[in-house]
Amino acid sequence: MLLKYKYLLSVFILLCFSSCFQIIEEINLTSAGSGTVNLTLNLSASKTKVASVMLMDSVQGYKVPSKQTIQKELDEVVAYLKKSPGISNVQKKVDFENYIVSVSFAFKDITNIDHVNQNVLKKLKIKGLNNSSYTYNPKSQVFQRSYQHTKEAVAEYNKLKPEVKKVFKDATYVSIYRFEQPVVLCTNPLAKISKSKKAVMFNTGVLGLINGKTDISNRITIAK
Amino acid sequence: MNSFYRCLTALLLISLTFTSNAQDLVHKIPANALAVATIQGKNLMDLMSLTEFNNSFLGKELLAKHAKKSGKPFTTFMDLGFNLASPFYYYNQSNDSVTYNCFLAPVKDAAQVEKLYAQADQKISLKGNVRYYYNSDSTEVARWNGEMFLFVIARGKKEYFSKPEVMERFGLTNPYPIADTVAIDSAAAAVDSLAADTIAVDYSEPATVEIGPADSVVVDTAEAYSPDPFFKNEDQKKSIVASWTQRMMDDFFAGTNKTSILNNIDFVKNVDAKAEATIWVSGVDKLFDTYVPTSYLKGFSFLSGYGSGNVKLYLEDKSIRITSSMTFSDDIAAVFKRVHKRKLNKRFLKYVNEDRMIGYLGYAVDTKAYLEEYPRLMSKIYGSVYADEIGMAADLFSLLLDEEAIGKVFKGDALFVFNGLSQKEVSYKSYEYNEENFESKEVMKTKKETLPDFLMMFSSEDTRLMDKLIAYGVKKELVKRGSGYYELSIPKSPLALYFTIKDNIVFLGTNKMEMDDIASNRSVAKISAKQKKMLLNSNYAAYFSAKKLSGKIPSEELGGAEKLEKTNRVLNSLGDIYLNSNPAKGNVLSGQMSMDIPANQPNALKYLLSIIEDAKK
Repeated sequence: MLLKYKYLLSVFILLCFSSCFQIIEEINLTSAGSGTVNLTLNLSASKTKVASVMLMDSVQGYKVPSKQTIQKELDEVVAYLKKSPGISNVQKKVDFENYIVSVSFAFKDITNIDHVNQNVLKKLKIKGLNNSSYTYNPKSQVFQRSYQHTKEAVAEYNKLKPEVKKVFKDATYVSIYRFEQPVVLCTNPLAKISKSKKAVMFNTGVLGLINGKTDISNRITIAK
Repeated sequence: MNSFYRCLTALLLISLTFTSNAQDLVHKIPANALAVATIQGKNLMDLMSLTEFNNSFLGKELLAKHAKKSGKPFTTFMDLGFNLASPFYYYNQSNDSVTYNCFLAPVKDAAQVEKLYAQADQKISLKGNVRYYYNSDSTEVARWNGEMFLFVIARGKKEYFSKPEVMERFGLTNPYPIADTVAIDSAAAAVDSLAADTIAVDYSEPATVEIGPADSVVVDTAEAYSPDPFFKNEDQKKSIVASWTQRMMDDFFAGTNKTSILNNIDFVKNVDAKAEATIWVSGVDKLFDTYVPTSYLKGFSFLSGYGSGNVKLYLEDKSIRITSSMTFSDDIAAVFKRVHKRKLNKRFLKYVNEDRMIGYLGYAVDTKAYLEEYPRLMSKIYGSVYADEIGMAADLFSLLLDEEAIGKVFKGDALFVFNGLSQKEVSYKSYEYNEENFESKEVMKTKKETLPDFLMMFSSEDTRLMDKLIAYGVKKELVKRGSGYYELSIPKSPLALYFTIKDNIVFLGTNKMEMDDIASNRSVAKISAKQKKMLLNSNYAAYFSAKKLSGKIPSEELGGAEKLEKTNRVLNSLGDIYLNSNPAKGNVLSGQMSMDIPANQPNALKYLLSIIEDAKK
């Protein structure tokens, strides 16, 4: 799933020089295995810098995309999602005032998201980063997120210019999974369970994901 | 016996004194050196004794590094074997076929110098009283005796070795033919006294060349070359260059070179014994051509009209000073004189207050003269290749631009005054999650952003265009009218800009109160005679007070109190920095940069070392 963000990030990454951003992933899963996804990229905390960068054609050797380019790329993502099997009700929201972009959609089965992921990766010709997947077993009521850190992520990061690296310093990644039934067991000690016991949240820095210091894999058992 | 011993001691002492006083090797530098750098060891030692330097932070670190590298203990720089109280030189000698980077140092003890090369893989050979060191392909050679040490890095020129006649003469092949060959400027190629062609004739048969002493590692037979044609060629070229280097160094030590750099008036005039370090360049254009192959330049002469130049470093009791000067050809100098005729508008100074000011940047050029001269300068650079095109472009440039009208709108002088940093609160959207089910809620948060605080002024005789722009801005609600000044609103930016036009000066700044004061004649000026002179007598002037900036940087910008404290400590230890150009003298343009040193520091050298030590803490 993280890679889909990369698709969006490919546009936005250049915008937030020496500032921070927030990635939010929300998945609502029904007991039957269908559900909805909401992905948000929030650059609001660095909107003044983004606004000034957007006035330029390129910055530090990187091409700055225009509003039109960003819209177009987002439309492509939406069009692709609409065509994907098992995906429906695709919606996008762009707030150029605060630089917040979000995409939401419904899925029939959690494996649909994995397919989307892999295809996006193929389309972008990114190798070695297909390291995250979701599974849900309605019988055992176990939701699993597998995640394996790859050295390629660090290698790609190390290739960036120091000014761009700074962008990731304060960037955060929030992941929320909501279920219909209470959570019985959650294996990742960094994850937090809500009062209702029906939601699990993971809030971490993006840099930890890049350098492999943070593990976001999780196995969540839901009450039958 | 006793008297013999005493005589011997006396003789030894006399000779030692004589050597240390007169060991200036400048006369050994050939007259055709393109560039010469000098370090005056004596001046440095006057500022700091060797014992003090050995015990300084930097000294200890250097000695430790050196000891680690050589595997032998070094406790003092004296052990290096050089006469540290005499000048050290670097010079560049080049011709159409080879470039020599030469380091020339005065020797006190040849045996001690040997220790520098006393590592397992570095062999020294001795011939008479001269010691030799060669690297694996003999393109880096050191030679020394009891008086002097010469280290040469020689590089053959690719273009020379690509010439068909040269390749034929040396029996070189071309494994990767160059598709696009560019004719070499014949005048430039014929420049040197060490003309490679004349030397090269002696080495037309590389396989039979006898190079260097028997125990040197110079490749001297064709069989020793690599079987790969590319590497064979490279090896062959290196051995040719090595043989030239050998010849050059033989001549150097034999003293057959009759004309020294001391015959060059420009060099003698520009070497200041008081400067701790000097770099002198005989011709900036020549040096540029040496390092940048003519094939890259495609015949353009970027530095045509640039002559000799020099940079000097003075470490004084009260300041560190760097001066630089450059000689230009008559026509380029005439352009600069015309363009530099303008002086900074005196009335700018009415709005400068030194109590607030952290730094400034002022410049004054004549816009009209600049616009008129610009096409001519371009044609000098590109004209040799694109004479027709440049001619047309220059005419079109003059036709489209009304130089005089532009010169009235922007006269060409401006002053930027930096008054510090300020913080402003900005709001942004974020999310909060309830504890119950982590449902997200959009919330507005605030954070502080650091903004520069500045005032900029420029002269304008004709403000009609700007008046129209302001009227248009007001109509489109991009510009808000204040009392006698305007506010420019920049969407999404926390930075507010205020501007006004008064007395043919356009003011642009970030401080509303300051702009209000300017508009209503309430500005209080405060400027010292020193700053006034700097600004009014120079075409370019800049000033920065690091001390005034310390304590004004918000800790958020530096990521923590510890880093802030360190930054403030370094800023506090820096003196005021000045930079300015001098009025032109003949065809020479010059300028200088200086930094005051704090009163508690004995001199600039000790102060510099203390800064390095402080920054490393």
